[in-house]
This record gives sequence, structure tokens and C-alpha cells, in this order.
Amino acid sequence: MDLALNEEQEMLKAAVRRFVDTEYPKETLLELSATGQSAPSEPWQRLAGTGWLGIIIPTEYGGEGGSYTDAGVLFEELGRGPVPGPHLSSAALGALTILEAGTTDQKRSLLPDLASGRRTVALAITEADYQWDESDVQTLATASGDGYRISGTKVYVYDAASATDLICAVRTENRQHVGLVIIPADAPGVSIRRLEGFAWNLAEIRLDAVQIAPSAILGATFGGGWDALERAVASSIPLLCAFQVGGSQQVYEMSVDYSRTRIQFGTPIGRFQRVQDHIINLVNELDAARWTTYEALWKLDSERDAADSIHLAKAVSSAAYYNACNHAHEVHAGVGSTTEYGLTLHTTASRTLYQFLGDPKFHRRRLADALGL
Amino acid sequence: MDFEPRYTAEQETFRTEVQDWLRDNIPGGIQHPADSIDLTYEQYQLRRELGRRLGDKGWLWPTAPQEYGGGGLTIDHSVVLEEEIDNYNLSLPPYYDSGGRLGGNSILVWGSEEQKQEFLPKIFKGEIRTWQLLTEPEAGSDLANAKTAARRDGDDYVINGQKVYVGSAHGSDYMWTITCTDPEGDRHQNLSWFMVPSNLPGISVFPMDLLSSAGESGAGSGVKNIVYFDNVRVPARNLIGGENEGWKVATTHLELEHGTGGRIGRNWIVDRLFDYCKSNNRRGETLSKDPDVRERLVDIYIDAEIGRLFQLRNYWMRHSGANVTYEGPQASYFRKQSGLRVATGILDILGPAALTKDEQWGAGEGNFESNQRAAIIALHPGGTTDIQKVIMARRIGIGRQQRERAGALA
Repeated sequence: MDLALNEEQEMLKAAVRRFVDTEYPKETLLELSATGQSAPSEPWQRLAGTGWLGIIIPTEYGGEGGSYTDAGVLFEELGRGPVPGPHLSSAALGALTILEAGTTDQKRSLLPDLASGRRTVALAITEADYQWDESDVQTLATASGDGYRISGTKVYVYDAASATDLICAVRTENRQHVGLVIIPADAPGVSIRRLEGFAWNLAEIRLDAVQIAPSAILGATFGGGWDALERAVASSIPLLCAFQVGGSQQVYEMSVDYSRTRIQFGTPIGRFQRVQDHIINLVNELDAARWTTYEALWKLDSERDAADSIHLAKAVSSAAYYNACNHAHEVHAGVGSTTEYGLTLHTTASRTLYQFLGDPKFHRRRLADALGL
Repeated sequence: MDFEPRYTAEQETFRTEVQDWLRDNIPGGIQHPADSIDLTYEQYQLRRELGRRLGDKGWLWPTAPQEYGGGGLTIDHSVVLEEEIDNYNLSLPPYYDSGGRLGGNSILVWGSEEQKQEFLPKIFKGEIRTWQLLTEPEAGSDLANAKTAARRDGDDYVINGQKVYVGSAHGSDYMWTITCTDPEGDRHQNLSWFMVPSNLPGISVFPMDLLSSAGESGAGSGVKNIVYFDNVRVPARNLIGGENEGWKVATTHLELEHGTGGRIGRNWIVDRLFDYCKSNNRRGETLSKDPDVRERLVDIYIDAEIGRLFQLRNYWMRHSGANVTYEGPQASYFRKQSGLRVATGILDILGPAALTKDEQWGAGEGNFESNQRAAIIALHPGGTTDIQKVIMARRIGIGRQQRERAGALA
């Protein structure tokens, strides 16, 4: 038993933290948040230059061949920003989907570009009947010429506005299969519209008779696409959870610091047990997320059956990040509500990530299934 | 990162040795009453006998130093032992004992060499069972307010006072306690810590009538008692850590009692509940298939998993020498709060069948009924949930210039 990170992971953690501190200071994060142009931005180009986007991609496809725990370290530190994507969408979900679903040729042509950051993908799965189930996919692939025409509307798509390519879940004409196709984000017939408001990097994608060649179908056939996607999503969830852990850690540290420096009634507010309660609730949420996430990562790395741990980690981490931000707002009061302070970056991210890849209720149902209930 | 012990070939051999030994040495007839208050004296003696046999092997306190009668084993050996004895629904030690887990550590850290030689082998070999005597009527959460007086008189100290909510059923061999040796002295600098033989004249023990004696992880204590000291003469050599140094000595066992030791093992009541719901029907359908029950079981499972991970983390931190701050009281706080949520979940699922140990109409042979009582009473022993939060806040360093340091552990 050893619950410590290994030496390389500690070095990676320190390196990513330095990178985030240097390249993504609060002012940069606020600016990117205002414009929605997270990539290609200058810091994003430098992030791509580190090679970290290939952390989980096997070396034979130009990646670093790292473990899930290695990748967890990376995403946890990015979560502290919170650094906007499409890192998780491309380097985790996209890469793992291509690894699960793609042909050897597709892996050879796509993965090195994802590793280098030359191309990035976002996963366009969900539609108007929002849920992470196969049955809700209604976007159709209709035979057309040598290939197919894709029509439908994807909505609440995370990172869509900043990716170069989209992996879309589509239903075949006979409605028998849900498969996966990869489409350039600037292909004719694709229109992407950012969803304004409290959503974090969500967009609507309209696919209006988008023509694709058969080579754009991941795995060359539609059959089996959804199952491959589910496997990739399952393996990516602990990495999303690690991002939520990093975000929770950051708001925890902000809250502790604030409670030590904010003076009211002539004393640091951290002296008040009411205020302490918020911070204690926050750290309990944080640690619950951290250890359920780490155990899921360890199970993936050691090739154990990880289904129960994955659903547990997502149910816990989504709620933890959400609640961590709520507690942080209790501590910060008015100051926390100002955009310039930076807490609201996390508050905003926590709401979208609460839903992304399934909300706590969804994963609790899946957990019950995994437990044989 | 590795959440399981690495089982080397040598450890697997050790596991086989442990399994064979347990099979041969767990006395026949050891039973598991739903409420530890129902543990008979004969049953208790069977457990003590098992404790002594484990102690002879160095397996009762596997990681305690060998030179003082412990096993001197590594964490990975101790994990194997705890896992294997857990399979018998027993724990190490297989009976309530504050000595090895708590008081023994204080002696190890603060005792003189002579005191270590005198007390520790008896504790670590299971020859004696000790109680902790801390709480007083006016010293609950504010333990440092202890008024039980110890006055030097020649080669002895003379102790007078009253301790409450202490010990267990079936007596003890030693009591360790914190007393006031300087009523005029400054707070935290006027206390002294003693190992007191339980058979000294002037000590009287009266069981209390409580809703439940709760029970920490492992073996429940059965009952709690009031102990009176009436001019009890304790030899001065039984003073650990020096006169007026008692608070320092106490910080060691308080640290462990506040959850820093961690624990490995299943959550028996949760396992039992899942088994019950999967194997019992209501209105012709398996209980665990009822959507409401499913939802409650998942709530309970999540709480149990987080609790398990906090305990596992603390166990690892304790044995790897990691820098501990707020993690002990965090695990303690979570165990208490989630324990009550689990009990609420059980009440939701089972209804009034959770509230009676009636053979016909109670569920789970009285175990759920006992849990309903224990869950609410477990909120205070070893520090209330509020005290756990106070300690957490100090360790996190909220609102103070300096963080409080954790108590010194062996």
C-alpha cells in the first residue's frame, strides 16, 4: 500500500502548477472566460508545446504513454485554474474514444495530431432530450453518394467552440446502430453557437446535411460505436473528477487564505466557528472527491474492474466541486461575487461539470446497477 | 499509488500461516452479540484468551515494537492480520481495550525506559486490559478542566475524584487517567498522567444506565461506568511523563482517539444491510429492487466508501510517517456524522423493524436495533463532532497565526 504519488508524478505536478501559475494567471483566465476563445490562445499554444496533451496517448501514436494516475495529476493541476479546454475533451475523451473505436489507420492519422495539439476534438453526444444514454441520440446518418449525410442538432456540447474537430454520435438510417463520426468543425453545414449565460464553454452544434466520407466513421462501421464511446467515457470520468478535485482544492485554499486575512469585528473571520464550519464542510467535500477519484484512477491503472469506483467518483466529485464553491461563497460573501476576484470562474465551471458526462443522480443509478442492486 | 497492500510471496505465505493459526486458535463458541452489552463474562474470557494467544505470537499489536512485546511487523503484515481476523467478524484486539491503541502509545512516547519495560509488554501481549479514565462531570469537551486530584505523599500520590463514561463491562487490570496535580497552576500545565492498578483500595466502579455504550470501530465496550477514587494511593513510579506534564502525554492518545490511527476493515452494519435487502422480500419483490430502497442503499454505500477511504488514508499516513494535520479529526467527524446518516437510511428502509430486537418482528437479529441506538450515542465519545471541528480548524490554521501541530505519535 502506498497512497503517495511517485517521484515523476510529483515532478509533473510541480511543473504543471508552475505552468498554470505562469501561463494562466487570473487576468488571463478572466479574459478567456469573457471571450470564450480558450483555444487557440497564446497560453494554449504553449500548453500544446509541453506535450502534455499526449499524456495518455500510447508512444506508438506519438503520445507519452502515461498512466491514468499521471493524467490525473495533470488534470488536477489544470483544474486549479480552472484552465479552459479543450484539454479534457481532446487529450482524454477524444484520444480514448479514438483508441477504443478507431481503426489502426485512424489512430495513426489522428492521435499524433491530438498529442501535439495540432488538432483538438470535442465530443458531440447530447441532444435536446439531454441524457448520456444511447437512446437519446437522434442525429441521423443517411447514405449519400459514396458516403453519408449527417443531420441533427447537438446541444450542451462541452468545448465545441474551441475544438478543430467534432466526434459526433449519430444514428443510422435504419435506427439500429449508434455510431461515431469525426467531422472538421469548419466543414460545410456545421454551425456552432456558444450558449451564453452561466454555462461554461457549452455550445449548440447544428449539423445540416454535412457530407462525410466513409473514412470519417470511427472504426469504419457504425456498429459498436456507442459501446466504444461508453468505454472511453468511463475511463475519462476519473480524469474529469481529478479536474474537479483541483478546482475544489483551489477554492479551499482561497477560502482558508481569505479567512485568515479578512478582518471583521476586529478579528480575522476564521476565528468565528460559523465561518470555520464552511471551510470544514468544504475540505470534507474536497477529500471525499480526492480519494474516491484516486482510487478509481488506481483501479484503471491496475486493470481492476473499476465500474463501481468510476460511478462513485463522479457522483462524489461533481457534488463536491459544486458544494465547495457554495461553501467558498459563504466564506467570501460580497468579495466572492465580484468577477475580478476569480472565485466565480470556479463557480461557473462547477455547474457545467456537475452535469458533464452524467450528473450525480445518473451515476448513482449506474452505481446501483454496478453493485447488483 | 497503490490502494492495496502488495502481497509478496512472503506475505502470501504469512497469510496462509495466519489463516491456519486462526482456524486452530479461535476458541470454539465465540459469539457476536448484536449489542456488546450482551457479551457474557464467559464470552469475554474466550476473547481475552484469544488475545493472549495472539499476543504470544506478536499478532495482537502487530506493529508495536518487538522490544516491548509487540509484533515489530510491517504495515503490510499487519494489514494481512487485520483482514484475516476481520473475516471472523473480530478485530484486533478482539475485545474492548484502550491500552494498546491509545494509552500504550503515550507510554511509548513519554514513559521512562523502566516504565516501558514494566507496562508495555503486558499491554502488547494481551496480559492486561486497560481502561481510559478521562471524562469528568465538569471535564467533558473541556478535558483540561479535570479536577480529580492527585497529591504527592511520600513515594505515592493520593488520588481523589470521579471519572464518568469510562471503561467497559467485565472490569480492567489497569486504568490510565489524567489528574490535577496543581489546582493553582496554569491550564494545561497542572495535569499529571498515571497508570493505576485497578485493584487498589479506594477504587469503586458503578455501571451507568445508558441508551447505548456506542462502540468505536472494533469491539464494543458493553457498558460505561462511573469510577470513584477515594484516597487511592498510587506509587509515584506509575506517573508517566512527569508531574504537571500530563497534558503533553494525553495529546498522544487524544491524537489517536481523534482518528489519526486509521483503520482497515469492512463496515459490518452496511454489509449486513446489503445482504438483508438482497435476500428479503416486501410485497413479493426483493427489497433491494424497490426504487426507494435502491436510492437509500446507494446513499449509504457512498458514505461507507468515503469513510473507508478516510480511514485507509489515515492508516497509511500513520504507518508511512506522512505529515498529519487535520486528517484524524476529519475521519472521526465523518464517521460520526455518516454513521447517523446510515442509521437514518436503515430506518427509512426497514421502518419499525429497525427499532426492535423482537425475534419475530425485528430485522437482522437485533443488529439494526442496536445500530439505531449506537449511531446517536456515537456522536460524543472521543470528542463530540463539534470538538472534532474545532480541532480541524486549528490544524488547518484558520484564523490563527500558527497552525496547531498534531500530537506526537510513536
